Amino acid sequence: MIDLHGFGDQLLQGALITVELAMASLAVGLVLGLLGAAAKLSSIAPLRWLATIYTTIVRGIPELLTVLIIYFGATIVLMAIASQFGYDDYIEVGPFAAGVTALGLTFGAYATEVFRGALQSIPKGQHEAATALGMGAFRKFQRIILPQVWRVALPGLGNLFLVLLKDTALVSIVGLDDIMRKANIAVSSTKQPFLFYATAAVMYLLLTIISMVVVTWLEKRASRGMRRG
Amino acid sequence: MSKAPALELIDIHKTFTDVEVLKGISLKAYDGDVISILGSSGSGKSTFLRCINLLENPTKGEIIFNGESLKLASSGRDLAAADMKQLTKMRQQIGFVFQSFNLWPHMTVLQNVMEGPAHVLKRPKQEVMDYAEHLLNKVGIADKKHMYPNQLSGGQQQRVAIARTLAMDPQVILFDEPTSALDPELVGEVLGVMRKLAEEGRTMLIVTHEMSFAKEVSSEVVFLHKGVVEEKGTPDKVFNSPDSERCRAFLSSTY
Ligand SMILES: Nc1ncnc2c1ncn2[C@@H]1O[C@H](COP(=O)(O)OP(=O)(O)O)[C@@H](O)[C@H]1O
Repeated sequence: MIDLHGFGDQLLQGALITVELAMASLAVGLVLGLLGAAAKLSSIAPLRWLATIYTTIVRGIPELLTVLIIYFGATIVLMAIASQFGYDDYIEVGPFAAGVTALGLTFGAYATEVFRGALQSIPKGQHEAATALGMGAFRKFQRIILPQVWRVALPGLGNLFLVLLKDTALVSIVGLDDIMRKANIAVSSTKQPFLFYATAAVMYLLLTIISMVVVTWLEKRASRGMRRG
Repeated sequence: MSKAPALELIDIHKTFTDVEVLKGISLKAYDGDVISILGSSGSGKSTFLRCINLLENPTKGEIIFNGESLKLASSGRDLAAADMKQLTKMRQQIGFVFQSFNLWPHMTVLQNVMEGPAHVLKRPKQEVMDYAEHLLNKVGIADKKHMYPNQLSGGQQQRVAIARTLAMDPQVILFDEPTSALDPELVGEVLGVMRKLAEEGRTMLIVTHEMSFAKEVSSEVVFLHKGVVEEKGTPDKVFNSPDSERCRAFLSSTY
């Protein structure tokens, strides 16, 4: 790797953190999105309200604020809870955990809508064919519905992931050593802002391109059998 | 016959919002019976069939399968299964063939047929595969087992759907207008398969508009009108000398 005044390795380490943060947030967000969609389509009204409150709040707040609120708020909340149990030491929520929570919540809120649309697009007959065979609800979801939902949701989820990937840069503000923060550190020590910001930009772009290739491959794989032959 | 019926429906009612679509239908199917259910569009044939395995919850009535009454409990205005285990077990033994096939598009033909026995009945994989291939052979689709449903014609898809149902070794098979979604030239191949099943002595309830088929294969024909059984009897009786004026009018308009 290019030396970059000795900051090349640092930037690469930052890239690793960025990727880890993005993947962890994606995992959390996918689960939240599926749960959110299931809740929004539920026949139980309070679940629907809960999901609507969730998506409305999260989508209504700038991501940067979500990161800050989670980072500073989580410490306060956790310490309040811990003190109920007689534990009064300072609890710190690390920037990584806060970042995963904030970005996962954000991804989940948008993914809720993507999954909801996908779930609704599966014809009733697909459910009924499984039900009529005596398949239980869980197995039906896992074997019949989810693979089809996945195919429909993939393009939308891919887009959300690209947004998520770039939003990871926001977590640098609470001290996570990602690409963005490493670039900032390099800039303040070398006074070469263009070089390092441009390098960071190229790194994000490369990650984005890789993601797009992976998503395209997944889409192709998931749509086997879907085209008329 | 002194034996108990394989399937007995007693006084099935169904109300959608404020329309009573089924107004008390009773039916008995003994092993080996092939019962065709006829009637004009909207008379409640599909709804009745769907009430049997609770794809639709009846508003009132009793379902007895193999002498065992399906436990039902009130759920709003309708009745719902009170014992999901019992319902699931019953559904595994009552096949259902849909008008629109409802094959799973993300699975190959072979996977569609194997899904039930492999993942619901949890039979050994090799045994399931051999049986699935045997059934695909029987419905004449063996050469297409690795294709996806969307690559097949409607008639081929419906034959796969029949194989998928047969793979569960059902005791009774319900057919809900199995040829209504097909182009006319593809109807024959599906009826051919069904005829073969009837000859094997399978117990079948068939909602259909194929009058000559119904006349030929049925042991009993039921004519529904506005949610009630208007006429029932042997094919000869219903087709040639029905008591009901409406049945006569219906048959002369369609057959
Ligand atoms: N899910 C439903 N909700 C409301 N009405 C329905 C529903 N399914 C069927 N119906 C109505 O019930 C009547 C009988 O329908 P159906 O059983 O499909 O008749 P058939 O199979 O004899 O054509 C029709 O008037 C139809 O509009």
